[in-house]
Amino acid sequence: MSMLKWYQDTENQHDVFLASRIRLVRNLEHYPFPEKLSEEDSKELVGKLENGLQGIGEADGRSFLTVPLSSLDGVEKDALRERRAINGAGAEKKGSQSLLLSEDEAVSITLAGEDHLRIQCMSGRAELGKLWEEAGRLDDYVNERFDYAFHEKYGYLTAYPTNVGTGLRAAVTLHLPMLSAGKQFTKLVNEISRFGVTVRGIYGEGNENFGALYEVSNQKTLGVTEEEIIALVKQMADRLAASERKIKSLTLRNHRLDMEDEVYKSYGVLRYAKKLSLKEAMTYLSQVRAGEMEGLVQFKEPVNIYGLMMEIQPANMQCIAPEEDKNDLKKARASYIRKCLPELV
Amino acid sequence: MLCEKCKIREANIRYTEVIGGVKTEHNLCSHCAREMDFGHYSAVFDTDYPIGKLLADLFGLDSDTKESEELAMNQVVCPTCHTAYSDFVKNSRFGCPDCYRVFDLLMSENIKKVQGNDTHTGKRPLYSHGMAETKEEDGREKLERSIELLSSRLKEAVQEEEYEAAARYRDEIRELKERLNEYA
Repeated sequence: MSMLKWYQDTENQHDVFLASRIRLVRNLEHYPFPEKLSEEDSKELVGKLENGLQGIGEADGRSFLTVPLSSLDGVEKDALRERRAINGAGAEKKGSQSLLLSEDEAVSITLAGEDHLRIQCMSGRAELGKLWEEAGRLDDYVNERFDYAFHEKYGYLTAYPTNVGTGLRAAVTLHLPMLSAGKQFTKLVNEISRFGVTVRGIYGEGNENFGALYEVSNQKTLGVTEEEIIALVKQMADRLAASERKIKSLTLRNHRLDMEDEVYKSYGVLRYAKKLSLKEAMTYLSQVRAGEMEGLVQFKEPVNIYGLMMEIQPANMQCIAPEEDKNDLKKARASYIRKCLPELV
Repeated sequence: MLCEKCKIREANIRYTEVIGGVKTEHNLCSHCAREMDFGHYSAVFDTDYPIGKLLADLFGLDSDTKESEELAMNQVVCPTCHTAYSDFVKNSRFGCPDCYRVFDLLMSENIKKVQGNDTHTGKRPLYSHGMAETKEEDGREKLERSIELLSSRLKEAVQEEEYEAAARYRDEIRELKERLNEYA
């Protein structure tokens, strides 16, 4: 039996908070950033890093696997991106690149992506502080073996000036079905971004958001300490979460039947549909999750709907789908959800 | 401030909208602004309307020297990775750690604009195994640091309207830069 992934954790699933993420960007001294490295030098750097960090599993307490990103095909890389183990640039990069991935997929270290190292720790709970400690330990482990490019004034040097200084991105993923449906949402997001955080939809196409999942993260990385960044993101995420809860309780008080109706209809579609587009599946799963959070429906067995939302994304679906359904992802998606979604009490 | 639309480029156009007595402010980059509908004002973004040039004229700056200065800036190239300053401006991306030292004076204001600050206050590396630096690099770094220091003094002097001191700093910086060029 393989270890559960961080997004399959079924505890603490009744909250607006879906996930926390800490990402650190680091570069080595005496090497140009990956974009300026020749394929040969890139390969050498990846090898050197892989070798030097062999013992990282022992230091971290989890076992790690080395994923040679450059030999994966597009779908496999996209699937990792959808599960957030690598970022968009990592999925698109053609040349030498590697990934150290913990077995629960909570820790991912991209080697020679946009920067030499991208250290990321994720969790399905609201615990940025704990993740920062974890990432900090991994950071020190790497630093013990490799000298970092560090500037007295600018701090940790990065390929993009938007990451320089701490190299830290602290992010919280929230489920905001009620808040994001309201007319004031854009205004609220603009208001909040004035404090130095970005709020963006995670899944969707173009301007459309599927599933009401939003990530709050810091804009600035220089001139603020890591603790200040984390406190800011936490504060703004708390504020959004509080607004969501408030609207939800108001809706429940005044339109309970309407809400129940929506939740049960959504569950019915997920339960019995033969084909589901990504948009349909995300919308109904979001409704059902909102209903479950408020106790309008109750599952017989615990389930992590956020994890399910990740697994039904196109590239992951392509990987999971049985051979005969690879050409019909809507069909594969419907039957996968039927299989994973527990019955109601 | 970043453009509110693309959130990638620096916002350089502030657009104030008054509808039904409600005033809203938008901060956009010229790229996104071009894509928006500003009625007949859109023409401003369609052509390469030389607003910058217009302003420069207003402030009595000789546009020719400004252009040649710009040209000279774009030709600054990082000796380690051969990234030109113009590449950095175009891609908003550095080529190697040394770029920060080479382009420091040219881009420190931009970094301040993007980040709201230009001095790191967070974590520092625990370990540095220190490779012995060559003497040449030592000398160059020292020069660069002095230039950095003098430039900030120059800025201060100009702000305080102490033009005599400013002129002295300017000459010193020029001299140091010439010596720096010998290293390149």
